[in-house]
Amino acid sequence: MSELFEAYGDLEDFEDRLASDDPGERRVAVMELGDFGEPAAIALLAKSLEDADAGVRTQAAVSLGEYDGAEAAAALAKAIVDDDENVAQAAAHSMAELKDPDSADPLLPIVGHANAFVRAAALRALRELRRPDTLKAALDALNDSDAKVRTEAVGVIGFMKLEEAIPALKAATTDEDGNVRRAAVSALAFSQLKTAVDTIIRAMRDPDWMVREIAAETIGKGEGSKEASEALMAAMADEYWQVRLKATRGLGRLKIAEAIELIGPGLAEDQAPNLRKETAAALGEIASPAGRGYLEPYNDDSDPDVRKNVRWALNRISASGAGVSGAS
Amino acid sequence: MPLAEQPSTVPVVVDNDKCIADKGCRVCVDVCPLDVLRISDMSNKAYMAYDECWYCMPCEVDCPTQAVTVNIPYLLK
Amino acid sequence: MTMDAILDDTSEVKCDVLVIGGGTAGPMAALKAKLKNPKANVILLEKANVKRSGAISMGMDGLNNAVIPGYATPEQYVKEITIANDGIVDQKPVLKYAENCYDIIQELDSFGIRFLKNENGDFDVKKVHHIGTYVLPMPNGDTVKRALYRQLRRARLLISNRYMATRLLTAKDGRIAGAIGVNTRTGEFLVVRAKAVILCMGAAGRLGLPTSGYMYGTYENAANSGDGYAMAYHAGAKLANLECFQINPLIKDYNGPACAYVAGPFGAYTANNMGERFIECDYWSGQMMLEFFNELQSGKGPVFLKMDHLHEKTVEEISKTLHNVERPTRGHFHDGRKTDYAKDMVEMHISEIGFCSGHSASGVFVDEFARTTVPGLYAAGDMANVPHNYMLGAFTNGAIAGEHAMGYADDVELADFDAADVALERERVMAPTKREDGIPPNQIEYKTRRLVNDYLQPPKVTKKYHLGQQRFAEVREDLEQGMMVRNSHELLRSLEAASILDCADMAAHASLFRTESRWGLYHLRSDYPEKDNENWFCHALLGKENGKMVSEKHAVSDYVVPIAEDEKDLYDKQRVAASAS
Repeated sequence: MSELFEAYGDLEDFEDRLASDDPGERRVAVMELGDFGEPAAIALLAKSLEDADAGVRTQAAVSLGEYDGAEAAAALAKAIVDDDENVAQAAAHSMAELKDPDSADPLLPIVGHANAFVRAAALRALRELRRPDTLKAALDALNDSDAKVRTEAVGVIGFMKLEEAIPALKAATTDEDGNVRRAAVSALAFSQLKTAVDTIIRAMRDPDWMVREIAAETIGKGEGSKEASEALMAAMADEYWQVRLKATRGLGRLKIAEAIELIGPGLAEDQAPNLRKETAAALGEIASPAGRGYLEPYNDDSDPDVRKNVRWALNRISASGAGVSGAS
Repeated sequence: MPLAEQPSTVPVVVDNDKCIADKGCRVCVDVCPLDVLRISDMSNKAYMAYDECWYCMPCEVDCPTQAVTVNIPYLLK
Repeated sequence: MTMDAILDDTSEVKCDVLVIGGGTAGPMAALKAKLKNPKANVILLEKANVKRSGAISMGMDGLNNAVIPGYATPEQYVKEITIANDGIVDQKPVLKYAENCYDIIQELDSFGIRFLKNENGDFDVKKVHHIGTYVLPMPNGDTVKRALYRQLRRARLLISNRYMATRLLTAKDGRIAGAIGVNTRTGEFLVVRAKAVILCMGAAGRLGLPTSGYMYGTYENAANSGDGYAMAYHAGAKLANLECFQINPLIKDYNGPACAYVAGPFGAYTANNMGERFIECDYWSGQMMLEFFNELQSGKGPVFLKMDHLHEKTVEEISKTLHNVERPTRGHFHDGRKTDYAKDMVEMHISEIGFCSGHSASGVFVDEFARTTVPGLYAAGDMANVPHNYMLGAFTNGAIAGEHAMGYADDVELADFDAADVALERERVMAPTKREDGIPPNQIEYKTRRLVNDYLQPPKVTKKYHLGQQRFAEVREDLEQGMMVRNSHELLRSLEAASILDCADMAAHASLFRTESRWGLYHLRSDYPEKDNENWFCHALLGKENGKMVSEKHAVSDYVVPIAEDEKDLYDKQRVAASAS
């Protein structure tokens, strides 16, 4: 009779197999240790990180991904500084799956490692752990020479949503690297402090369109203010339709009636279909009779998404009462 | 009525030099949802025994030595 | 021993809760049952290997029905599902799902499964349309199965791989007694006695034949051959609305999802050959599929996923998800065709037909605790008829089933079954192994599925259906009298071929019963082109009585979330076509 149930194995047997002269056999044993399930396997995997064979060490780093907590993290912190690139890559991948806040302690020392890849991976792992005492390391990493490290540092800080970190995030919005700026703008979203909002508004004039896009989106999701409306209206002149789309959505959500003349032209047939749809929806959100003139020509548009949103918007304008006189 | 065999080119290819099935590895055989991979009696390496592939990729992704390649079956590629 | 040789042996085990199917709902059900009563025995049976089995073998690229506070409410979700299903919905299970799914998302997150988060670590829910917001991408969703498996190993669950369940066992009083399985590598028999059984066996995804002609190039994981539907039927459970077929949009030839809902929030959309949008319906439904089908048939076909208007950086981001998760060979396929998303539109088509509540509403009839009409028998995931429940529904309803089934098992004793049932099943399963000469299962299956395409694919025509039924009967005779297998792998395929034929018969029977058209393309009957609310605003339940297939009407339960008159035709209103101009 074949085995009815999956085996769970015993550690002594694994120890024997790990002592094999054949690296292939050791590798298979290490692989199966990943499925062992109980933390008792971590010590054996950690030992396998010292194996002479890089394949075995790589596999140990992969298998460690099945475990969590300080002991597993400590082993991964060792694996990620391995000279072999495959071992290091596998360790970085496994590290990103850690969830237990206790995993943070062994990771902190390698945030200052000489290799930027190691620093970035350590920060990426810390992000999910959200431990306030890792803030300082992340703040220091904002001054890192490597842009990827700085991007990851923003993530660690942003995930904690601490007011004390706002000045640092604001500073990061003027980083020389576009990805860092994009992350920083987005990370400021949690704060409703006026100074943070001002910073995001400033990012709407960033040279990189993707930063402007995220800034417009972030402002559009906020509580709104005179400055926010003005910035979103200014963004309606952006050369990228992607930015105008986010500004349109924001102006609609914040119901800025003064913006109708800037939003309305987005419905023109030569505009991107995505923007046309969004324009109609925004005019509907604002629901002011001033939007009617822009919408009516497209009531029978050939694009169903545009047509649906135009009709929905016109209905809302009618329902808002102000538009009754204009109803036909 | 006797059966005839129809030839077909199989989508899953194994690099025997990299495959460690002879060391006891069974990963690709285990993870295939359609159970179409086997270990060859002759070479002790993995191979595609049945052309019944969903080209889903666990065999390639989970292989510890990157010995497996999943190609798109000829009829639909 | 020669490869896949057939051995002659039977063993018997006992447990409290037996879960059949180790894909998405199954592992969750087994885990929750075990956690509810750690002393109890829970067995998870899987015909492949739990590590990578099921529809989410390679993970999932996003949730499209996440009900997350601040973005959507359970009531809003129930309304949408009700409307998208033309009102034929028992709302209680849908509401229960909607109320529980956010907890499940958080639990999956704690397992290490990665959902898209913004820079503040909050779930980055994407807005698709202004009715509700349910899309949560999973750019690193490739580790779903690994993370689940890890939980099962930690809980020390009894996992039985490579055993295919073939029939359920019931007691004289009708309640569940266990299941019979056969080893797919050795042909050995296994009888599992259980106080409660949970079926999580996925869609009937190998019903129609893909247009490529490659039998395993299906939309669904080809291992999902409808075994659960067949088993539930033979055990006397009722199946609901099987005529509401699953038909999905897909990448032509590749036959996997294009995932417009993942690419959509980035600005991609479905377009005709002029690059213009044409879909009126906001929600994934039969109505949407009808619009897709009509466009394919029109001079404006074929249909494409359009991304060539997006910035190359945006396209890069979309490709990263599409090529790493769910169906990662999408990347290989498009490389082979030299399709560049930034320059070329991706040709799309529609899938072969199938049963799947994950995407439509065809499944084993269950209540809000995942109970079927057979006492002690539960069902969850794609095969249970909680409409449009997708991956998150499989997890959530699997969890509900696991907990409830363990509660049930705690209160009852093992039921007795008739040993003759096991002997009979053994005879049925092994019959093809006893023949020296005959038809191999792949030919039986190919013919069944080719007939499904020829006769059952919508638009449904009564005369064609009758012809289809005649042909199926002929194939059945061949299957029962002439099928031959040479090894245990072919034995597995022969059992699947039987499930597929059962599903084909059910699809035909259920479709003929409902003499109206409903659910857009899913149940478009040429002879009854109108929706008939007066006679058919009800479920249609299919079951087995005295060995025969029967259908009956079953009232839709009173709504718990009222739908106002003007909301009922909300979708119809939106669908209003452009007036002629």
